[in-house]
Amino acid sequence: MTQFGTFVHAARRSLQAGDRRYSLRQVAKRISVEPSYLSKIERGQVAPPSEAATVRLAMELDQDPDVLLALGGKVSSDLQEVIRKRPRLFAQLIRELRDAPDHAVLRIVREVRDGDW
Amino acid sequence: MITLEHDRLVFRFPEVHKDATCAIEFQRTLRIPDDGLDYPLPPGMGGFPLRHLDDYARRVPEDWLRRGGVLMPMHQAEAMWINFDSGMYPFAVKIATGKTCALTGDGWINHLNTDPQDYAVLPEQPWLDGCCVAKGIVRQFVAMPLGQGFTVEEQLTGEAEHGGLQLIVYPMKAERYEAMMSEVGPVARSYGPLPSQAEAASAMGLAPGGRMRQEIYEDDYGLDAWDQRQASRCFVTIANSMQWMALTGERPPTEPPTARQYTAAGLPWFDYFGGDLTALEETEKLRGIASVAEIGGANGESPLPEYESIEVDRVIPLRRRESNQVREMSGEVTASS
Repeated sequence: MTQFGTFVHAARRSLQAGDRRYSLRQVAKRISVEPSYLSKIERGQVAPPSEAATVRLAMELDQDPDVLLALGGKVSSDLQEVIRKRPRLFAQLIRELRDAPDHAVLRIVREVRDGDW
Repeated sequence: MITLEHDRLVFRFPEVHKDATCAIEFQRTLRIPDDGLDYPLPPGMGGFPLRHLDDYARRVPEDWLRRGGVLMPMHQAEAMWINFDSGMYPFAVKIATGKTCALTGDGWINHLNTDPQDYAVLPEQPWLDGCCVAKGIVRQFVAMPLGQGFTVEEQLTGEAEHGGLQLIVYPMKAERYEAMMSEVGPVARSYGPLPSQAEAASAMGLAPGGRMRQEIYEDDYGLDAWDQRQASRCFVTIANSMQWMALTGERPPTEPPTARQYTAAGLPWFDYFGGDLTALEETEKLRGIASVAEIGGANGESPLPEYESIEVDRVIPLRRRESNQVREMSGEVTASS
């Protein structure tokens, strides 16, 4: 199994334990792939699916799409677009934050500003 | 701190507790008939897009910019409900429309009150669909232009000044949460340019629509449980579809199907049962508010298209703490059906 396949399998089985609609067949149908393909993904016998299918799978399994894409070795196209627009700046930013603890990264995340009301 | 993530407002209080995180989103939904009957809960049809208001600083009126927060598009007469997701960490949340409390009808204040209780408690309260007008009954949040007398703000204050939606979130005190968790033990967590300033001034507010069955629960933790030194608040400015397109260059989501189209397609409505939780009584102020259809009728107008009664025969009961509860449209229905 790959890390991606193991994660998807575990997430789906956890949901299936409480709800039969999360069988392999039904999940495959809802994300528009063949059950045999989803089975191979879970067993790591094929590469992770396309970005669109990975996002559908993440939504179906109530997982963060960016996390699932990362497990599949991908970066979402909107993030790629952000980096392509200012590649030097974002490359530097990401490298500098590589080893920063989560709370330090959160400190630079843009907050919703509260004003005067 | 509040961040905007995938069209959700995420409230984090790392200085209080590492688990103190909750998310709030605004769900598109169909407008229930405004006919005086009590309906079940309508479905969610996906979240409304949210944007930082500051991103359009050069194109929005000064009074919009001054209050900060986020921008959200709604079509006139479109309905919405608020979805709360806090995992296990409890929060107290105040919700106001036009700076008028949705639970009491009182004007905005930056602290919690218990007499009457002016806040909802998470995670016990999964959703809020409208203003509490009777015990176990809310009137649906429906977007209407400010200045025509429909909004709760205008009905209770006589002024059309603020519009929009306001939120303030208070986390539970860390020691109270730790004590509670030590009693409960570890619990699996489920994660789960405007053409002119004059046009911009015609902002949207939320008015009371049709009636539906929804209880708002009493605070079982007590006022002392909440850390009122650590609140985060947000003003949600509601732009109509033309304003949204002019500002963002994006199309707003399409209008949802009507309640009649949705029901005719055999799709479900919902009821929620909070178990042994006690529902709040309505306040005198909110008991007396009139709905959009009632105000329109008194003025000889029909401000809401398609508000005739419907018969709902497919209702899915949802209970507190059921895993993976979804309150979403689970099929296809088109506006022409």
